Amino acid sequence: MESQRARDLAEAGVSKARGAGATYAEARVQKTWERQFVLKNGEPQPSFFAEGYGVGIRVISMGALGFAATNDLKAMSVGELAERAVRLAKASSGLLRKPVELDDSKPVRRKWAAPETRRVENADSAWLREVLLDIEGRIADGKAGVKLPGRVLYLGAELEERYYVNSDGARVEGRLPRVGFFGSLTAVEGGTTAQRFIQQGETGGLEVVKRIGIVEKVEEEARAIGKILRVATKPPTDTVDVLLSPELSGIAAHESVGHPQEADRVLGREGAQAGESYLKADGLGRRIGSSEANISDDPNLPHSNGFVPVDDEGVEGKKRFLIKHGIVNEFLQNRTTAKEFGLQSNGAARSVAFDREPIIRMSNTFVEPGDYSTEEIIKEVKHGVFFKTFTEWNIDDRRLNQRYVALEAYLVERGEVKGPVRSPVLEITTPKLWGSVKARSKHMEFESATCGKGDPQQGAPVWTGGPETLLSGIKLGSR
Amino acid sequence: MSGLDLKGLNDTAISTANALEVDDAVALSASGADSMIRFANNSVTVANRVEESELTVYLAKNRRRALASTSNLQSAAVKEFVRDLFSSMGGLPESDYVPLPDRPARYTPSKAGYDRRLESLEDDLPEMAGAAIAAAMAAGGTRSAGVINAGKVTVAILTSSGTQGIDSRTAITLNIRSFAEKEASGHGLSCSSSLSGFDPEEAGRRAGEGAKTMREASEPDAGKYTVLLSPTVASNLVETVAGAASAFAVDAGTSYLADSLGKKVAARSFSLTDHGVTEGGLGGRVFDDEGVRTRSNKIIEDGVLKGYLHNLTTASKWKVKDTGNAGFVSPHPWNLELEAGDSTYDEMVGEMKKGIVLTSNWYTRFKNYRTGEFSTVPRDGAYLVERGEIVKPLKGMRLGDGLERMFSSVTLLSKHREWIQWWEVDTPTLCPWMLIEGATITRAYG
Repeated sequence: MESQRARDLAEAGVSKARGAGATYAEARVQKTWERQFVLKNGEPQPSFFAEGYGVGIRVISMGALGFAATNDLKAMSVGELAERAVRLAKASSGLLRKPVELDDSKPVRRKWAAPETRRVENADSAWLREVLLDIEGRIADGKAGVKLPGRVLYLGAELEERYYVNSDGARVEGRLPRVGFFGSLTAVEGGTTAQRFIQQGETGGLEVVKRIGIVEKVEEEARAIGKILRVATKPPTDTVDVLLSPELSGIAAHESVGHPQEADRVLGREGAQAGESYLKADGLGRRIGSSEANISDDPNLPHSNGFVPVDDEGVEGKKRFLIKHGIVNEFLQNRTTAKEFGLQSNGAARSVAFDREPIIRMSNTFVEPGDYSTEEIIKEVKHGVFFKTFTEWNIDDRRLNQRYVALEAYLVERGEVKGPVRSPVLEITTPKLWGSVKARSKHMEFESATCGKGDPQQGAPVWTGGPETLLSGIKLGSR
Repeated sequence: MSGLDLKGLNDTAISTANALEVDDAVALSASGADSMIRFANNSVTVANRVEESELTVYLAKNRRRALASTSNLQSAAVKEFVRDLFSSMGGLPESDYVPLPDRPARYTPSKAGYDRRLESLEDDLPEMAGAAIAAAMAAGGTRSAGVINAGKVTVAILTSSGTQGIDSRTAITLNIRSFAEKEASGHGLSCSSSLSGFDPEEAGRRAGEGAKTMREASEPDAGKYTVLLSPTVASNLVETVAGAASAFAVDAGTSYLADSLGKKVAARSFSLTDHGVTEGGLGGRVFDDEGVRTRSNKIIEDGVLKGYLHNLTTASKWKVKDTGNAGFVSPHPWNLELEAGDSTYDEMVGEMKKGIVLTSNWYTRFKNYRTGEFSTVPRDGAYLVERGEIVKPLKGMRLGDGLERMFSSVTLLSKHREWIQWWEVDTPTLCPWMLIEGATITRAYG
């Protein structure tokens, strides 16, 4: 990104907005670059490249929030854009019951870049294709021990560069490269089918593919599907222990802890779309889990998919201890909600593009590690099911009633992993799930995911993860 | 925004591509303007205005194909963008290549689905939001959250074989949820391509009434029920049927409609059509991304799968006529219409011995797209029906089923239909109420 041009545009936007009557103004100039390649059943699809550049200006005027954005600075100057944002805020202020106010977070002045060894811009179509062909060569034609007549393999490299200015003094320049894989594998054997969607990704350059072993992971997943199709049996129907893998620990932490602890949902701001929360503003300090339930969100994890060292309100991203020993400890906050709570923002405001307002988002949400090794925690299971991967999942909009259907799952008897079981269903309330946590391993893994929220929708890259987490006294369903 | 010369932009891109002696080129330029007001707790939360333009270019040369988009629309930048895209194609493999149609077509804008009054409505949105909130309160909701979105999009096409055209659409939508004590909530939508079809008060009234009637909701027993789905819920699931009808999904192994052409996949009353352009439709245009004229395609007629949605590449592979649904990579629907039945809502409720009425849902996820097994989470107004009468509100449940089983068990459809497009439904869908036998309802443990 041409830094000087971005600075000039952002500074001019903020200055014009203040001149037009904004009591607060911020401008974000954002450039995006992405390159993708797709193989469908081995057939190359048209390669795809995209570049974008635009400006978003958010203001407070007469107590109301206005946001205007464009990528067509030929049609509208940044000054006109700023004035438009102010006019929108003023025009809507008649419908305002409570003025929007910001906390007094310390404005950050920093230039940052997510580390990368091989710059992401070097991801040309040939490189992307080579990686996918490597995967294809390992799983096509039954090479992974199972017929996979449906294979869609996607690899993308992207870069987000932003320059952010606000009228409180924040000046932030960021560079965020990312590499991500998505695969859809459909297996057929003996007249039955199984399907697995695999998402892998991190911030960084081309080294990401080898660092997280994408090629090997996909091959391993394909082999697992075959085993499930051939030998899986019905899951037990009596009361069992459930051992959640890092993948299952992560999705449960994201869905039933991270989301309901977003302060904007708690206060009702997302009520029409993503919903509200079972926790109210006085929910801090409430017990929702056992003393072994410890869940955090940390935007500073190296290489993470949700790496956000400074958020899109110019606030330093801090680790959030969401649940500590079963007690609701902290909400995800931006500057507006923090003001309402009488707190300081913990840097959770993110926007996925220049044309989206920053809203509260998770970054990397995970169950904290415990003391057990993986082998030791399996030994703790007397009669149970190990949920290794999942397919179907969902949760109600207050985040109380959730469901995870396992794809790869195993019976565990007297501390030993036995054969695979078919499609066990964990359909459980949030307090029951976290109240049943008996132990955690120290083995941590993370999965990449795209978190949906906002209107218009903003799909935010995140990590979900954790250790193996042991739940006791659970009734399962089956599919 | 109106000053942007989309045709000139396309001319620049295609003349640059032609100079590079490509086999095929398509330039699709688009400009859009959206105004939005969001509110929660009966108070505005933000007013948005976004104006964007984008150029997408497709090139084919020696069976190599590439696609790219840019927002840098200066003439010199566009020329460089096309040359760079062409240069990048050297390292590409050959792929399934189907030439664009030889005969150039000219498309004039469709008159359907455009209302000039929606081009710049931001100053009126607060008043409309206020009217919806007031109607919700009058109906029994105590606080409401929602969004009104009004906007237009114009798309122009030019291909290397001379096909050209331009088309525009407008749409205005309101999504409102109203809340009352004890976590009661109701939902209302109003979706229209014209201002005259937009009714924020009615949407607010429905949301408020839902909130009022949900105050003493309890959890149902798990089991099999007859379910009556509102147009909002039914269109969410019908959209997944259209997704499964994309020939790309069939090839990719992610369609439950694979191997079912000409076979019965739904009840006789179930007929689903996709329209490129239709009166009242909030989406679509007269040409697809490859410059092929869009049309009305019957996906399912009288319960029988009639065809998949195609672009040039998939149509060639399947040896059928292109249906005008490109997507360069994946064909997709434009405006869906489910045929109406002849029942009223009251008649449908009256038919239920033991059942559940569902008015809204979210978070539909699939266990397996190939088999169509899914579950979805009802929210807002949901009611237990016994012997044809609504007896109490329900909460805390999940609807899990298979698409083919479920749509094969449709027994009644309403005469009344509504256009639906909101957070949970991307493709505008004209949909009736739908009565289905034997749906599985589950609830959480603990």
